[in-house]
Amino acid sequence: MKKISLMGCPNVGKSVVFSRLTGVNVISSNYPGTTVDFTKGNTRIGGEKFGLIDVPGTYSLEPTSKAEEVALYMLQEGDIVIDVVDATHLERNLYLTLEIIGRKKPTIVALNLWDETKHLGIDIDVEKLEKLLDVPVVPTCAITGEGIKELAAKVGDAKPSKTIELMSEGERWLKIGEIIKEVQVVHHRHHTIWERIADTTVKPVTGIPIAILTILLTFLFIIVIGNWIVEHLMDPIFYNYYGPWIVGAVNSFSPEGLLHDILIGKSTVESLDFMQSFGLLTTGLYVPFDMVLPFVITFYFMLSLLEDVGYLPRLAVLVDTGLHKLGLHGSAIVPTILGFGCNVPGALATRILETRKQRFIAATLMAIAVPCMAQSAMIFGILGRYGMKWIIIVYCTLLVLYILLGLLLKKIVKGESPELLLEVPPYRKPDPLTLLKKTWTKAYGFLAEAVPFVILGVFIVNLLYVFGVIDVLSTVFSPVLTTLLGLPEGAIVALIMGFLRKDIAIGMLLPMDMSPQQLTISCVVLATYFPCIATFVVLLRELGIRDMLKAAGLMIVISLTVGIIMRLILIGI
Amino acid sequence: MELLSDMKPDRKAVPLTTLFPGERAKIISLGHGAGIQRHLRTMGLMEGKIVTIIAAQPARGPFVIDVEGTQIAIGRGMVRRILIQKI
Repeated sequence: MKKISLMGCPNVGKSVVFSRLTGVNVISSNYPGTTVDFTKGNTRIGGEKFGLIDVPGTYSLEPTSKAEEVALYMLQEGDIVIDVVDATHLERNLYLTLEIIGRKKPTIVALNLWDETKHLGIDIDVEKLEKLLDVPVVPTCAITGEGIKELAAKVGDAKPSKTIELMSEGERWLKIGEIIKEVQVVHHRHHTIWERIADTTVKPVTGIPIAILTILLTFLFIIVIGNWIVEHLMDPIFYNYYGPWIVGAVNSFSPEGLLHDILIGKSTVESLDFMQSFGLLTTGLYVPFDMVLPFVITFYFMLSLLEDVGYLPRLAVLVDTGLHKLGLHGSAIVPTILGFGCNVPGALATRILETRKQRFIAATLMAIAVPCMAQSAMIFGILGRYGMKWIIIVYCTLLVLYILLGLLLKKIVKGESPELLLEVPPYRKPDPLTLLKKTWTKAYGFLAEAVPFVILGVFIVNLLYVFGVIDVLSTVFSPVLTTLLGLPEGAIVALIMGFLRKDIAIGMLLPMDMSPQQLTISCVVLATYFPCIATFVVLLRELGIRDMLKAAGLMIVISLTVGIIMRLILIGI
Repeated sequence: MELLSDMKPDRKAVPLTTLFPGERAKIISLGHGAGIQRHLRTMGLMEGKIVTIIAAQPARGPFVIDVEGTQIAIGRGMVRRILIQKI
């Protein structure tokens, strides 16, 4: 099977071309550098099967970040290259194009965003461009699907160029100048009213209030709509239909005993308790589907909306100065925001940062002080009943930690923190279908990831109880938990579970009869002491074993310190 | 016209930081090492292009500049090393 690599500069709509060609739900974003991990798919063109690789966006083949190194490697992998070019910025996009076809790879050029060239008053002579480059050139508009068929039909015509050779940087720009002069005419135009409005979101006087408002509205939307889904959809399903049915079904073949307890705990039809029963089919499904999923959906809907509209790079500009104080720069806001959804993509997205120092700081801060949506939903669910005050204490503590630790790491971590350099793409109208598809893909990704781990976790904890391991561990760790942190010794089981999943771990605190103070301390300790297994594996891969060990050491020390301080403040000695 | 204005004594190259929002200027040189220069050029920031300032963040924060239709967020240290000629 031949391999096609899809290459192009960041933010040219490569991922949309990819999903058009494969039909796979591939995530694309209006944020440069979102595809940091490459995506593979298969497609059938004219009866022949092709493997398709969506390569991370890169401006040139001399890489400046880790994401771009991946791109270079992927070029060598492919047999055919589809070079996706932003037709509205032909000149600078041609640099990568000349680098690719100079290497004599069989190539087709897709002139994407073709429809926008007309609005912008840009005329491109496609035939002449084709002749000058000596490879097929196809105008496309991936969002609407125009030109994709033609593009696929020309895959067979991809060939090494005879006219373009590998050349030096200076020669390449000269060549590009010649090509542009021959194929492109730009009609002068003025800034539109919309562009002027768009500019207000990066000007500090207007931009900062707009950013605060945007974040508040996003937050409000996630909570209000999430709660609505819980109350009007998930709770009725669980309490009125699923609960009575599953209890009846299990009782019919196993009315009591070990199997019964592992499956549904001590639940009966009269007293359905999804939180405390701790059965695989009660708590194990209730936590991911009822308590977490609604908020994961609303979170990813809002994130996808902000991404597709193109707001995130603007946010990066506004927070840049602040993040520099923590040894990062504005782009680090992206892994951080992704981390609020799930730390795994957050950790992957640290690749958009240029240096090892930045990646270490961003990943460590995220793992310690950024709770994922599953965790947040549970913190709200469990602490919310005692009042907003406790939730605010948890998040303020994490925020203070984020800042203090960042200030410290900036000083002690060796290496450079370069300045922000980021393309700010124009605002784009999001396509509702793409938006829903994206939200669904990410929510599904959450379920695929969370449900098996939650079920496994509930199973393991049941076994640990059955075999008395929990009692032993409780006694062993009682000095730390009870004496230092002021928590009941049974809280150890939540910490063990936290290695697997933090959401269910927080859920386990509920039956322990803790005071709101103890719950607050537990939530902060659970958030900070160690990442969940999925995040740990990704961090290990991204940071390497030495840096991961350093980060893990920091986590344990900080978690314990913060826990003790909170205990002294909230509970006393 | 172009040549005449180039010869005026006040049209010497100055750092991009001195440009006010709304003013237009021509990029004369990029400064920096070869690697960063190449990266800037591939982003559209090239000698001879017309640049304007969209926004400058306070407290020595980054700039958002427009180079012939491409907006780029760029740290102030880099902006300082880019030399321009006002037009």
